[in-house]
Amino acid sequence: MKTVKIKKGWQFKIAGIPSKQLKDCPAVSIVAFVPDKLPFIKPRLLVQKGDHVLIGSVLFEDKKYPELKFLSPGCGTISDITYGPRRALHEIVITLDSDEIFETFEKLTESGFDQIKRSSLIDRLMAGGMWPFLRQLPFRQIADPDSLPNAVWVTLGSADPFQPKAYVYLNEQADFFEFGIKVLRRLVDMVNICRYDEPCDKNNSAANRVTHRILGKYPASDPGVVLYHTKKTAAENQDWYIDGQDVIHLGKFFKTGAYPIDRIVSFSDGSSKNSCHFKTRTGVCLKDIASSPLNDQHKINDPHKRWVVGGVLSGYTSTRDAFLDPYQTSVMVMEETHESELFGFVRPGLKKISNSRTVISTFSAAPLPINSDMHGENRPCVNCGYCAKICPVDIMPQFTYKSIDADEIEEALAYGLLDCVECGLCSFVCPSKIELSDFLITAKHRYHKEINQVV
Amino acid sequence: MFNQFEKNLRRFFEKSSTHFSKGGRFYKFHPLFEALETIFFTPAIPARCPPFVRDGIDLKRFMSIVLLALIPPLFFGIYNTGYQSQLSGGNDLNFFNIIISGLLTVMPMIIVSYAAGFFWEILFSVIRKHPISEGFLVTGLLFPMTLPPTVPLWQVAVGISFGVVIGKEVFGGTGRNIFNPALTARAFLFFAYPAKMSGDRVWVAVVDSASTMISAVSGATPLAVTALLPSFETIESMLHRAGFTLSTLFLGNYPGSVGGTSALCCLIGALILIITGVASYRIILGGVAGLLITSFLLGIVSTTPLNPWADINPLYHLAAGGFAFGIVYMATDPVSAPGTHTSKWFYGFFIGMLTVVIRVFNPAYPEGVMMAILFMNLFAPLFDFIEIRFRVSKRIPNV
Ligand code: SF4
Ligand code: SF4
Repeated sequence: MKTVKIKKGWQFKIAGIPSKQLKDCPAVSIVAFVPDKLPFIKPRLLVQKGDHVLIGSVLFEDKKYPELKFLSPGCGTISDITYGPRRALHEIVITLDSDEIFETFEKLTESGFDQIKRSSLIDRLMAGGMWPFLRQLPFRQIADPDSLPNAVWVTLGSADPFQPKAYVYLNEQADFFEFGIKVLRRLVDMVNICRYDEPCDKNNSAANRVTHRILGKYPASDPGVVLYHTKKTAAENQDWYIDGQDVIHLGKFFKTGAYPIDRIVSFSDGSSKNSCHFKTRTGVCLKDIASSPLNDQHKINDPHKRWVVGGVLSGYTSTRDAFLDPYQTSVMVMEETHESELFGFVRPGLKKISNSRTVISTFSAAPLPINSDMHGENRPCVNCGYCAKICPVDIMPQFTYKSIDADEIEEALAYGLLDCVECGLCSFVCPSKIELSDFLITAKHRYHKEINQVV
Repeated sequence: MFNQFEKNLRRFFEKSSTHFSKGGRFYKFHPLFEALETIFFTPAIPARCPPFVRDGIDLKRFMSIVLLALIPPLFFGIYNTGYQSQLSGGNDLNFFNIIISGLLTVMPMIIVSYAAGFFWEILFSVIRKHPISEGFLVTGLLFPMTLPPTVPLWQVAVGISFGVVIGKEVFGGTGRNIFNPALTARAFLFFAYPAKMSGDRVWVAVVDSASTMISAVSGATPLAVTALLPSFETIESMLHRAGFTLSTLFLGNYPGSVGGTSALCCLIGALILIITGVASYRIILGGVAGLLITSFLLGIVSTTPLNPWADINPLYHLAAGGFAFGIVYMATDPVSAPGTHTSKWFYGFFIGMLTVVIRVFNPAYPEGVMMAILFMNLFAPLFDFIEIRFRVSKRIPNV
């Protein structure tokens, strides 16, 4: 086992880290598939409103790659299909039957697995809706089945303490995990399993399969960061990656022959009382996770809260009525920004979160509550270098963003634009409140579109 | 009471904001209103794109720390200005008188500097429709602190105007200037009005209490003393005879520019800046190293006293002539310094080196550090360019 130590990053000091307790969510009546967070996919809808679907029925496919199917996370009637801006498919809402039925897929036994060829394994994964969980660096698109990467990176646990802990979801799932790894081995010769948090169950065989032990601050556990710090050649840039929980699903899919829809989601509302892991399902409505009877209803239902899905620093804003998209496993409810503050800039900042040492709270390790305030106004870059100091993959965001601004995309690429792991730390620390990461990510996506048009 | 004040203030800004918002009568002056309002109230702006948690630091806080770090030299400067003035005026040296006299000299300079500078800042932000930048809070205070206390106030106004307009705004405003605006202003005055900026008659202001007119008396600075050095004397003994021991130079209790005499106060400021991480310790340490090493080497190679400053104990270089002030507050201005790490060491080192070289080889420019910083400002982008090239060549390409 290799140990990879990553020096740069940010030590989370945010209150309300989910406990390792796993609670069950009560049964829900609607779920939805949210296609608009699928990277670079153009959906072609195969169902319409009023259709009845099973768990695992095909809902839509990719226009460019029709073999790539996306399956229903519930059994019931399609009650609504909504579109976002520019007629992009936004949500496919399914009202669930009381007795849900699974679509059946062909199971794989251990011996049957030994005979199966790589190509037919890929076909099965595509048809079974499992392929999209495999993703490819550097653009983080769904892995290209025609490519053969150098390695696939499996991430167990996260340096973001608001993401699910590996030992919570691995618990009693070791068999499925093993089988999932086996599947990955058939696809790619090298399977690197990175573990971030401490295993609490030493007997769990998954713990013994770890190849890389990751140490460091957020976002050390991100496959892009690990790859950046371990790669030797440019050929490794297009490596694949997959989350540990999805590896379990791979195993489960082949062993049970059913499309797996269970999900373990970490939930936090900033208090230590309510924040824990929830056992729920793909496509669940966010408020259904939170409205578990154990939760403090009053606080959660406050409309002045901001719901952030997918990590405190890298996630996106959602609403309590939105549905969990298939890739995300963490939900955070935080304070929406409140009133302006008298003489904010000269206050010592006992309650303010900061990476800089200009705020007193930096000198203590106590976790602090957060809100969605910018804590200042946008200003020109003063070249303070804070962003470069924190970037885990040694990009100098201030220079990179300036070269993008000047339309020098080649320059930005040379600076390492594609190594950007979209962690958001540069925007977080910038005293001039420049949207660096947003700028970089947008440029990256634009570049992806450009090169794919030419081909 | 405080809450009442806060409430009233809030109400006041809410009421006035209608006039300054879009469609209001004074919409043109929106940047001014915004600047005023945000001095009192840090506005609540929800984050629009990820991450939705943002660091508690903003540019205002960043600049406030620099102002905080400027307080020790400023207070000492007020005291020292008053002290030198009372001393040469033959007046009573009680603390109260000293402070009053110092305030009477220094405060008008600061007020004029801020007023004239803000005039330009506001003008440009109204024309360019951008918010007023906090950077000027620092520039407006730094500049008068580099001046001799006898400077006529109109020159303060002219100087800061030059600094803001030519030093900053013509390059596109904050963040785009090549030179440190305060130093640009200082250099402009130095070359435009040399009589008021150098020589040995400008460094002590005597406030005539009846008319509050400021007149200058002779009070040589250590750099000026040694310029007149007869060749048979060593510089140390010369300085000692004029009353400049190393400890005087370090404490700063001698005639000189308003804020730049005390290396000790600059050291305190440097500690504040380094501990809070606002200024780069690399530049400061690099500068000190450059100065010490260069003066040490020069001391070894110079056999005949080619210039008195060549074979002086290097510590004198460190303590004298505003070097400490320059390297701590001017050279570390992030906008005009390089942004990459190794470059900062070199940048600082060269400033230290050039300061000594200028002092030794061209005593006509006693304020070597000012020239050195401006000169290196010019090269900062080149340093960055080289280091970025180097770093990029180390990356495994990803295109
Ligand atoms: S550039 Fe910004 S978002 Fe990208 S990896 Fe660096 S810190 Fe993270
Ligand atoms: S943190 Fe912001 S202000 Fe500082 S160098 Fe980076 S972009 Fe510029």
